[in-house]
Amino acid sequence: MRRLAKLAVALLRELADENAYRRHLAARGRPHSAVEWRRFSDERLRAKYARAKCC
Amino acid sequence: MKILAHLFWAAVGAAAAFCLGGIALDRGEHINSIWLVLAAACSYATGYRFYARFIAARVMTLNDDRATPAERLRNGHDFEPTNKWIVFGHHFAAIAGPGPLVGPVLAAQFGYLPGTLWIIVGAVLGGAVQDFVILFASMRRDGKSLGQMAREEIGKVGGFIALVTVFLIMVILLAVVALVVVNALKGSAWGTFTIAATMPIALFMGLYLRYWRPGKVLECSAIGFVLVMAGIFAGRSVAQSASLAPLFTLSAMALAFSIIAYGFLASALPVWLLLAPRDYLSTFVKLGVVMMLGMGILIVRPELQLPAFTRFVDGTGPIFAGKIFPFCFITIACGAISGFHSLISSGTTPKMIAKETHAWPVGYGSMLLESFVAIMAMIAACVLQPGVYFAVNSPAGVVGATPAAAVAAISSWGFPVTVADMSALARSVGEQTLFYRTGGAPSLALGMAHIFARSGGGQALIGFWYHFAIMFEALFILTIIDAGTRVGRFMLQDLLGHLAPPLGRTSWMPGVVATSAAVVGAWGYFLVQGVRDPLGGINSLWPLFGIANQLLAGIALCVATTILLKMHGPKFMWITCAPLVWLVTATFTAAWQKVFSPLPAVGFLAQADNLEAALGAGAAASASTTRTLIFNARLDAVVCGILMVLVAVILFDSLRVWIGILRGTREARVCEAPFVLSELRTEEL
Repeated sequence: MRRLAKLAVALLRELADENAYRRHLAARGRPHSAVEWRRFSDERLRAKYARAKCC
Repeated sequence: MKILAHLFWAAVGAAAAFCLGGIALDRGEHINSIWLVLAAACSYATGYRFYARFIAARVMTLNDDRATPAERLRNGHDFEPTNKWIVFGHHFAAIAGPGPLVGPVLAAQFGYLPGTLWIIVGAVLGGAVQDFVILFASMRRDGKSLGQMAREEIGKVGGFIALVTVFLIMVILLAVVALVVVNALKGSAWGTFTIAATMPIALFMGLYLRYWRPGKVLECSAIGFVLVMAGIFAGRSVAQSASLAPLFTLSAMALAFSIIAYGFLASALPVWLLLAPRDYLSTFVKLGVVMMLGMGILIVRPELQLPAFTRFVDGTGPIFAGKIFPFCFITIACGAISGFHSLISSGTTPKMIAKETHAWPVGYGSMLLESFVAIMAMIAACVLQPGVYFAVNSPAGVVGATPAAAVAAISSWGFPVTVADMSALARSVGEQTLFYRTGGAPSLALGMAHIFARSGGGQALIGFWYHFAIMFEALFILTIIDAGTRVGRFMLQDLLGHLAPPLGRTSWMPGVVATSAAVVGAWGYFLVQGVRDPLGGINSLWPLFGIANQLLAGIALCVATTILLKMHGPKFMWITCAPLVWLVTATFTAAWQKVFSPLPAVGFLAQADNLEAALGAGAAASASTTRTLIFNARLDAVVCGILMVLVAVILFDSLRVWIGILRGTREARVCEAPFVLSELRTEEL
């Protein structure tokens, strides 16, 4: 049950791009900041919304 | 142990056959929805365990020792090995749109049986196979898109046609989903207020996430969800307020122009401000509601009120015209096979797959879950009394412009309903009327509200649940509209950039405004056409969308067949070729009938000729409106014809490649990335 809950939270974080942001920080060795989030978010969203959403 | 496993799977297979036989042969008495749930679940389990496993092991030869692009090209951004169940959820959230919800509701006009059987069989043998093979092919090609694979495997023509087809589908898709929202909200102060409230809520969320709590997406979405729920509760008071209700009680045309203006503004605004926060919220709401509906059906186990077949299998249906073949298959669309899924399967997902075998649950399994959503939508539509279902979904142009005329027409078909029944139902959900709400969303919302209210809260909350369901549908439809407009703009800029380079620059504001206006103008035109259509718009636009979507699936299956042929020769090409043959037969028949059928209710050209004759005889109510309707019918015929020609070209191009390979005059070169040994341990994920 705990494993399932952990998986559900991980899925929510993935859908919320929070995991991707953590990876972004880790890959660049930078700490979290508002500026860093905005940089990540702009890059991420630009790529995300260049693709069609499914019907 | 092995014997037990064999016995278990034999029992699952037998249960699938028994339940499918049960729903197919049952006549007369109402059947319980649990039969549909069990038939679907057991069929999916059997298909997943045996057919998908055969494809994975024998055809694709999935190999976990082979490094996936997520491992080889890992960049901490889009290429990232991810836990398979997280990729599963991510992929499912990406492929689940309004199609599997609306299509089955509309197809229920034939009765519950044809649609249900096609949703199950089509998904197991066609839709899930398409998604799985395209995901596999993209994964073996460094995450390449469908267009890139079409170009490499078939030829340049294929790649270009895929791009143009996607653009056309997008225009029709955006128009038809916008029409679904318009028909759900027209004259509904409660619904319109709730949806209008999501705009400032999304803007607040955008600012919250950007400046106040950067990176806290889940926290922000939770706040957004609470505010949206408060919006639904407040909507009832707004609808009852003498001063506020008129502000939010809009005609269909006013709503259409509001959505067009919204689409234009939203596609030009920064994505972080409106689109992204609402997209996060709608994704969570979508997943939550799908789970709630599944649990609700299991708890309530409602009886289906619609019969297995209705009299409209003969093609005289009020919701859309046309016989069960081919129109049931075109209408169901995404619940069984969706061409759009091939774009997702060759988009983000292949870049997240950690091990090759994960493509099995992600590619095949996610489509089965989507198909199950379609089954739930079918159940939600069929739990309504047939008279109510037809009264909500039939346009005034078919059943008559007054409630009395509508109930008389519907009752004469053998589905008794009264004006008093409809008024009581409308009052119970806080609406003035539920007549002529074509598009499927309101009847789906009624069915869902019925199931949710019986699961908890009782009839006192049915109005809340109805508007909750409308909010859920409209929320992600609006996200599709602004994201789709933006993507359409990028595609148009990409195409026009070859002619005039400044138009191709996404940072050049006049180019952005002009191309946004062109895309909004294109789908907006079809939307207004749908609103003006006396037959409700859905009658012409949904089949167009279904045809376009299925033709895109045809392109994906052409690519998949070419790849399987290059990998194994003709041995396994039937796996994708069989659904392709079916799809091409059904879709081209539907497209042909939509253009050339002599019946004005079905054929666009016959409809135009009929209107022209009425105009000539002086029998048309308004000459200018009739001329517009004539032009629109011919335009729909042209769009349908263009789609047929585009896909016929790619089909013949594919056939040319296949014949060349089979005769040995063409090299069967597989364009896969070279083998690299995987060093990734799944425990890392």
